[in-house]
Parts: sequence; structure tokens; C-alpha cells
Amino acid sequence: MSQASIEVRDLVVRYGAVVAVRGVTFTVGAGEHLTLLGPSGCGKTTTLRAIAGLERPTSGEIRIGGSPVFSSSPAVNVPAERRGLSMVFQSYAIWPHMTVFDNVAYGLRVRRRPEAEVTTRVREALDLVQLGDLGARSASKLSGGQQQRVALARAFVFSPSVLLFDEPLSNLDAKLRAEMRVELKELQRRLDITSVYVTHDLEEALAISDRIVVMRDGVIEQVGTPAEIYDRPRNTFVADFVGSANLIRGRRRPDLERDGLVVIQTPGGALVHGISPDRRVGAEALVAVRTVRLRIDRVRPATPVNVWPARIRQRVFQGDFTQYHIDWEGRQLIVRSAAPEPMAEGDEVFVSVEPRHCVLLEE
Amino acid sequence: MSLPAVTHFERARSWRPGPRLVSLLVGGGAAVLVLYPIAYLIQASLSVGDPQARPPEAYGLANYADLGRYAHIFGNTLLVAAIATVLAVVVGFAMGWILSRTNVPGRAAFEQLMALPYYVTPLMGALAWALIGSPTSGFVNQIWRALGGDGHLIDINTPWGIAWVMALFEGAVAFVMIGAVMKSMDPALEEASQVLGASRLRTMLRITLPLVLPGVLGAAIFVFAEMLGSFSAALVLGLPNRFYVVTTAMYQLVSQYPPRFPTAAAMGVSLFAVMFAMVWVYRRIVSGGSYATITGKAFRPRVMDVGRLRWPFLGICLGYLGVAVILPVLTIVYASFQRLTAAFPRRDNFTLANYATALSLDAVRSALWNSLLLGFATASLGVVLMGFLAWLIYRSRLPGAGLIEYVLMFPQAVPRLVFAFGMLWAWLVFPIPIYGTLWLLLIAYLTVFLPLGLRTISGVILQIDRSLEESAQMCGATWGYRLRTVTMPLLKPGLVAAWLLLFIASVRELGASILLMGPKSKVITPAIVESWFSTSSELTAALALLQTLAVAAALAIMFAVARRAVQAGGE
Ligand SMILES: Nc1ncnc2c1ncn2[C@@H]1O[C@H](COP(=O)(O)OP(=O)(O)OP(=O)(O)O)[C@@H](O)[C@H]1O
Ligand SMILES: [Mg+2]
Repeated sequence: MSQASIEVRDLVVRYGAVVAVRGVTFTVGAGEHLTLLGPSGCGKTTTLRAIAGLERPTSGEIRIGGSPVFSSSPAVNVPAERRGLSMVFQSYAIWPHMTVFDNVAYGLRVRRRPEAEVTTRVREALDLVQLGDLGARSASKLSGGQQQRVALARAFVFSPSVLLFDEPLSNLDAKLRAEMRVELKELQRRLDITSVYVTHDLEEALAISDRIVVMRDGVIEQVGTPAEIYDRPRNTFVADFVGSANLIRGRRRPDLERDGLVVIQTPGGALVHGISPDRRVGAEALVAVRTVRLRIDRVRPATPVNVWPARIRQRVFQGDFTQYHIDWEGRQLIVRSAAPEPMAEGDEVFVSVEPRHCVLLEE
Repeated sequence: MSLPAVTHFERARSWRPGPRLVSLLVGGGAAVLVLYPIAYLIQASLSVGDPQARPPEAYGLANYADLGRYAHIFGNTLLVAAIATVLAVVVGFAMGWILSRTNVPGRAAFEQLMALPYYVTPLMGALAWALIGSPTSGFVNQIWRALGGDGHLIDINTPWGIAWVMALFEGAVAFVMIGAVMKSMDPALEEASQVLGASRLRTMLRITLPLVLPGVLGAAIFVFAEMLGSFSAALVLGLPNRFYVVTTAMYQLVSQYPPRFPTAAAMGVSLFAVMFAMVWVYRRIVSGGSYATITGKAFRPRVMDVGRLRWPFLGICLGYLGVAVILPVLTIVYASFQRLTAAFPRRDNFTLANYATALSLDAVRSALWNSLLLGFATASLGVVLMGFLAWLIYRSRLPGAGLIEYVLMFPQAVPRLVFAFGMLWAWLVFPIPIYGTLWLLLIAYLTVFLPLGLRTISGVILQIDRSLEESAQMCGATWGYRLRTVTMPLLKPGLVAAWLLLFIASVRELGASILLMGPKSKVITPAIVESWFSTSSELTAALALLQTLAVAAALAIMFAVARRAVQAGGE
């Protein structure tokens, strides 16, 4: 299968007075699966459509497989149909006046492949998305999940060099979405095409990406692997958007720092040891601690640092885990624990966390 | 694998015969079609030398200053339009409310039937009501005298009569506009008022009325503008008493000898200016966000149980359809089989002679044939042209698409007669001699029906999700291929509807045809009007029915052929 790298440099997209994307730069390696993640209206779709060629950027440069497909100077703008990409739309965009087979065959027929080849390749594609026997069905008579599969098959059947996805799962119900997520990942690996995926769903992004680009208001907040994004958010926005985190504010104590750890002191005097993966911060600092990384114990754990006494104020049972609201240092911390025997409200406990889970944030 | 698609380098500046060029040519061409006649209309209105001279010998505003002499005509126009608007809006409001908000029996059927007045046309209505209500020979007055009455009970040849006929047909338009507003109102807004303890009457007055008021106002303005430019009812009913409105006065000025083109042009421009302003106000109201009633949420309009009032309401609905559709059609049918139309049928008065005469006249046969031919050509060319223009305006993202839309919707604000006057003037000097031929009529129809076709097709285009075309693009299809395989097939229902509307509208066109047809290129509707004034009303009735039957037959054939083609294609 063909693969192509994508380079996006200083991309700006303006709609009249609205600047939807304000100077975005990133690259997608050949064969890599990259996800654009961010809240609604942050410019993910716009970025994706600019790569596709459906939206004309105001300035910047986009290269696919090394050649520029858009550039503001010198002026280059290759139309979408000649960029050799393919895309799965949020609305699926299945043509209701064609059969499933004709929908999938479209890209091959556009490329004037012999009809025998069209038939075999469409069959293969339909089998791959588990719709083998639906070819003759009219596309207007499909369920949401089936439409989604047709859209997928249609997008990859003609071996594009890049696959673009715009929230392809957002119209499915929660259960089907979880299933399709797994299937999509499997398919991606099988096809081994470079892909750019847009979503505002964190779990989806973590599950299927090699790398994630987190966006806000048309700019990139952080780029990294799913683990990096989750465990080492760069700033409060990412920490907050990517799963739930406790934010602890304090003064830096460089005098106490050892073993590559940083230390901050809360207004109440507690010392928090954490890490600072090349973060630029001042004397005041924020530390993010994921709610699932905090531990609570009745007896004091034998770790030298990051152990504090606290009291359980409220307990909320949520099925897979129990969420505790804990009084600590005159504020509340949230802890999610999957431990089998629950603590009771009012219990005096010890909260602890490994320093590598306390990440210094830029503001 | 190599990547021919992306290694293919391209400069945006380099020339390529793409959608842009074609769009500019077609869009620009259509805009010229609209603006060229208007420019000539204005030129003619400023001509102050010899009225017959082309091009004008001198320019000035004298024709406009002279319009003071015709103040009574403008007064007539306003009077008729105002009365008719009030009547039409009352009809539209009542029918809209009854059919969308009450449980009157047969609601769904009535809603479909409300399209009928459109098919009857004001001309047929005017002819029928002339037979029913003219002071001496009108059926109603004959009956009145037979019952011992004196003189006449009603007189249709008055401003009131003209307004009455116009309102009957424009009432259906008002109904569509007002009914849509009522249906789009979230019933929760009214329910909230009732939950808070307000009575039904109070809810109606304090909630419902204010909410629908902008819509009703918009409909009133739209209808008023249409009335200002309407022609056929005023011609048929006003001429016998020499009662003129602007359009009929213009027609008179142009067709008398010697014609007074500049004066007519000045009248036309004045009317055009007023209508243009009204349509502008209408658009402002519609797009001004006063439609807070439309929430975008899906809901079913709440239907009110009106108890025994259902029956009077049913009476109102039947009554309206009776005077607007059933009575006129029956009258025309009856008259067409009479030797001398009389209110009281006598066996020896029935005859088929009118049909025999009508069909034996070469002039009638050729006019009917010309009309059908023109209708076919207008509809077929129009669908292709307007389909492309609609795509261009709403989908191509061509810079200036908004401007093109504005220009193409222009004819809506210009009475067809006024527009035709501009064309008459414009095409007389055109180097290719098309004046007096069917070609000129074809161009005229394509121009004046641009708004009709565009509106019909764009309604469908806007419902087609843009991503359906974009996904074809992402599959590598060029714009022509996309248009052919995705856009056009999806548009098919809209295109068929537009074809039918354009065909019917063309065959029945009067205002533009009456000025533009030449002695060797007659069409049927003006021929009917001519027959009304110069031969018998019975023969005219037969002609009107023949026209209707010809349209119906042509449509039936079209349907059969289309179905055959679809079946053949499917095998
Ligand atoms: N055609 C347009 N005209 C004007 N503004 C637009 C247009 N398309 C998008 N925008 C604006 O650009 C910004 C980014 O939009 P975009 O669709 O890229 O967001 P998104 O990140 O995909 O959001 P979502 O998750 O809701 O799909 C938004 O503020 C949006 O309102
Ligand atoms: Mg989006």
C-alpha cells in the first residue's frame, strides 16, 4: 500500500473576520496515524479540510509526499481531486441514489480501472468491513453502522496515499462506537496507510493514534504520543481536556530539588515532588495529578515523599471505580479508586502519589 | 507506488478551463440577459425627442414630469392593490390558521387543494367572473332580475371586482406564506403561556399573534408588490369601463397608434422602482431575524380541538375553493358549450360549435402549437440553465455568486409586462433579427422565469448535504464528473418539478407574450384575450379550456415518456 508523509507549516485559515486556524505546524510521518484532538470549534475540521483541499487556506504551506499541494508563496493550490487523498466524512456522505457496490466502486471508476478489477477490489473492501453480502443493496436502506462501514470501504478501496477521518464515529451510539473504534484500529493497521483523524473524543484519540495533536482556538497546545499527552500534559488546558486531573498550585522550592525532581510548596506548607519534562515555569507553579494516580490508604505508605494525611468528605460510587472527594490542605482533591473495599465518609486516610505522576504545567 | 497526483505540480495562477471560467461565462451571460432589457427600459424612459426615434434624440426627465397627468392611474393601481392585498391576506391568514392549527375535517386534502387556484390562473378567473358578475349579462345579475330585482346586484367591472378576482388567486400565495409561519411556530411557546394560567383567547392575542405578525406582514408586502404588477384581471375586467391600472395603461400606450413608448417606459420604471423597494423590504423582514418562531427543533404543530366550530371552518374552506376554483371552472366549461351564454340552461342553447370553430381556425392551431413548443423549449433549456445557475450560486463558492443571485432574482421585482417592454426596446436594435419570432419569446420566458426556476431548484440543492459532493471530490472525481454522477442525479426530483412549473408557466404566460409576439409568432394566451375582446365569450371559453386540456395532455405524454425512459434505463 502507498504511504505519504504530510507536512503542514504555518497554516492559517480565515473565514471573513473569523480566524479558524491561526498558524499551525505539524508533520505526519509516512504510515503514521495522527489525531487532531480538541474541543468543539477549535479548528480541527478546518485543518483537515485544508489538507484535503476542500478549504482554501489563507496562508501557509502543505506538502504531501514531499511535494507542495498548497502554498501561499509561491502560489500553489492542487485541487482536492488531484491530491491523491481520501476522506471519511462525519455525515458519511453515502450517495443515496446508488447501490452499496456503486458507492464503493466510485473511486475506482473515476480512475477508469477495468470493470473486472473494480468488482474484485470492491468485494475485497466490502469483506474487509464485513459487508460482503450487501453490495446490491440500495445505499439509502442502511443502518448508521452499515453506512459508516460503506463510507470506510469507499474511502480506502482505491489505495489512496493518505486517509482523512472527520469524526467518523460521532454519529453512532456509545456501544457501537466502542466496537467500531476497535475495528477501525484493526483496519488502520491492516491497510497501513498514513492517516489523519479528527475527534473531540479523548478515548477515541488515545485508542487509535500513534500521535496526538491537541488544539485550542486554532493553535496547537501539545503534540505527543497518547501516553505523553495523558501522563505529561503541557499546560492546564491539556491536563483538563485530556481526562480529569487535580491541579495543585504552589511556590517552587529549588533548594529542595534532587534526583531530577522538582518540588513545590503549597500555601498550606505541604511539599509536592514532581517532574518537569522541559517545562518553562516561573517561581509560582502548577502541578497536575491525574485522579486515578492518587492512592488512598488507611496506614501510612512507606514512601519518603508525597504522602499526606487527609480526610474523606464524600464518596460517589460510579461502577467501574469509586470517586472520593478528600479534604486536603484546606481544599478538595478528587481521587478515583478501583480498590475493592471502599473507605467510608469521614475516614482519616493517607493520600500518596508517585512523583513521576506529578507534572509541572506551563501556563 | 508512485504518487502521480501529488507530484503533479500546479500553479494557481496558470489558466485552466475549470468551473470558474464556465461559471463566470454562464452566470455573467444570465446577468446580461436580465440587465440588458432593464437598461433599455431606462433609456427609453429618458428619451424626450421624437418618441419613435431609435436611439433617442435627446435625454431628459420630461416623461417623468409628465406622469402627473396619469396620477389617477397610479391611484387606481394603489386602490386595487390595497383592497386585493387586504382580502388576500385575510383569506391567507384564515385558511392558514384553520388548516395548520385546527382539527377541521379533511385538513390534509385541503392543503393539497390549495394549490389549485395557481393552476386556474387569474386570467381564467377573470374571464369566468366576467361571465358571472358583469352588470348586464352576468349570471348573478340575470338571476337577480329574474327574481324581480332591479338593475344589477353586483358589478365585476369595478375596482372592487378586479381586486376580488386578484385576491382569490393571490390568496393561495398568501396562504402558503402565512401557513408556513404558523407551522414553524413551536407549540411549546403557546403551551407555556397556558401552563402559566393564560386563557386561550389571551394566549392567542398575546403570544400567537405577535409571533406570526412578522410573517403576515412579510406576506402582505409580497402580495402587494405582486398586485401592483398584475395585468390580466385588470385587462379583462377594467378595459370595458376604461378603468386602467399602470400595467394596462402601459399596454394601451404601447399598442395604440402612434405608440407612446417613452411615457410607457417612464410608467414602467416608476412601477419597477416601487416594487423593487417593496421586495427589498420584504427580504429584510424575512431575513431580519424576526423569525424567532423558527427554532430548528423538530416538533409537530399543535392542532387545536375547536369543537363544533369545525363545521363553520369547513364551510370557509369549501367556500374559498368554491369561488376561486369550482365556480370559475364550471362557468367556463358551461359557457364553452353555449350558443349564447345565459344563466338558465335551455336544451337548444347547447352546442359544440365553439370547439369546432376554435379547432378550425388556423390562427388558434398555430398559436396553441407555438405555445406548447415554447413551453417545451423553455422548460428543457430552463432546467439545464437554472440547474447550473443554482449550483453556481449555492454551491460553487465562486466569488460574486451572491451578486449573481441578486441580479437573477431581479425579474421577480419587475412586472412581466414592464420587463417585456424593456426587451421589446432592447431586441429591436439587436443585430440578429429575432424580433417578432418565437426566439424572442423563448429568451423572454427564460429571463422572466429565472426566479421561479431558481427558487424551485435551489430548494432541493440546499437540502443536499455538501459533503455528498465533497466525498466525490475526495474520490478523485473532477467537477464535471461530480456534477454528472452525483449532483444532477440527486437533484432529479427538483429538476422534474422545475420542468413542470416552467412548462405550465410558459404556456400560460400573458404579460410578456402580449407585447413580444409578432404577427407570425402568436401564442395562445394573448390569443384568448384577443378573442375575448373581438369575438364571443363562448368561443373564448372554449379556447381557455382547450389550452388547459393541451397542457394536461402534454404533461401526460411527458410523464409517459419519462416513465418509459426510466424503465428502459433500468433494464
Ligand atoms: N464556513 C465557515 N464560515 C465561517 N466560519 C466557519 C466556517 N467553518 C468553520 N468556521 C468557524 O471556524 C472555527 C473552527 O471550526 P471547525 O469546524 O474547524 O471546528 P472543529 O474543531 O471541527 O469543531 P467541531 O468539533 O464542533 O466539529 C469555528 O469557530 C467555526 O465557527
Ligand atoms: Mg468538526
